[in-house]
Amino acid sequence: MEETRRSTGSALTFSLGLAALVSVVATVALGLALPSTVEQSDFSRLIAIHPGVAWASYVAFGVTALAGALWLWPRTRRTDWDLLAGASAEVGVVFTGLTLATGSIWGRASWGVWWAWDARLTLSALMFTLLLGYCALRRVPGDPDAVARRSAITGLLAVLVVPVNHFAVEWWRTLHQGRSLLQDIPGNDVDGKFIFAMTLGFVAMTLVYAWLVVHRLRIARLEAGIDADDLDAAIEARRREAVPA
Amino acid sequence: MSRRLGVVLFVIVGALGFLVVKGLGDATTYFKNADEVERNGKPLPSLLGKRIRLQGTVVAGSVHETGSSVRFVVEYRCVSVPVHHVGGQPSLFKQGIPVVLEGRFARGSTTFESDRIIVKHTEEYKTKESDRLAAAARESQGCAR
Repeated sequence: MEETRRSTGSALTFSLGLAALVSVVATVALGLALPSTVEQSDFSRLIAIHPGVAWASYVAFGVTALAGALWLWPRTRRTDWDLLAGASAEVGVVFTGLTLATGSIWGRASWGVWWAWDARLTLSALMFTLLLGYCALRRVPGDPDAVARRSAITGLLAVLVVPVNHFAVEWWRTLHQGRSLLQDIPGNDVDGKFIFAMTLGFVAMTLVYAWLVVHRLRIARLEAGIDADDLDAAIEARRREAVPA
Repeated sequence: MSRRLGVVLFVIVGALGFLVVKGLGDATTYFKNADEVERNGKPLPSLLGKRIRLQGTVVAGSVHETGSSVRFVVEYRCVSVPVHHVGGQPSLFKQGIPVVLEGRFARGSTTFESDRIIVKHTEEYKTKESDRLAAAARESQGCAR
């Protein structure tokens, strides 16, 4: 067998990785340069990081659901969609975990508590549990088509939590502040700096997410390829046994 | 359906169930506003002795530190509730800001006994003191005392 070191890197991942690195550094630099605010003093600067990380976790849910749907739809069914759904969910675990971690740190600083059982925080914990559950479900062995089908359906059900969590801060009384995205902000040049830093954070975290997902998808493809190779080898061996020498 | 699938589903559903129950019981109404906990200057009888979360804005000039405790008044929609807090204070605690307090009304008292102050901030990111305190003062003056 040929000994080659197969890499998941390519021109695409290099460009994505570089863009992600540059935008993350820019986000952190811009975030640190933000002025302190009346309400939260220096802690406001976390707006550069936390909403972007949370956004990436929403994207992860969306991509997992969409890829699952594309697998379920007979005309677009390809193993790649299933692998993409799995890759996105795993990267989503990282971003949802980071959302909880950065949120907790911000909460301790601003609110004075690490955690509160309000609707936004509870639903974010629910998102984390859903993704972990989804990944656990994917690892339950079985017929590949059956695993892909149950994963796709789970992903489509799980994504429903995203709009609920997005609007949770308006539907219910929460400790968490109102929506950061798509809120009605009175035009104010100071607010503008914060919106810009937050938007840059969205871009940066989306790039990091994309970079990780492409790598993870390629690893999944290699794993699937190896499985297929093993199967081919096994079939070949049986065949040789069956054929009288 | 394998045994392992069953175990995985059981654990997932259990964890989700815990969060949903926790959420339904607590999260949808994280706090009561000051105007919802009392009538005619007296705490609602149904709340006496019960642990609740109370939300209101700390009235300017009402904060008085007394040794290990602090007394102040919170207000929401012109209904004010006196508070006696024992315990730590978050670094951002000051007058004129909305807070959520955890504690209870003791029987026979109109003062809310708080043991935890949580600072509640909004999605406002303003760098100037602007007229925030003035606005809070105006709001308070609009209330008949």
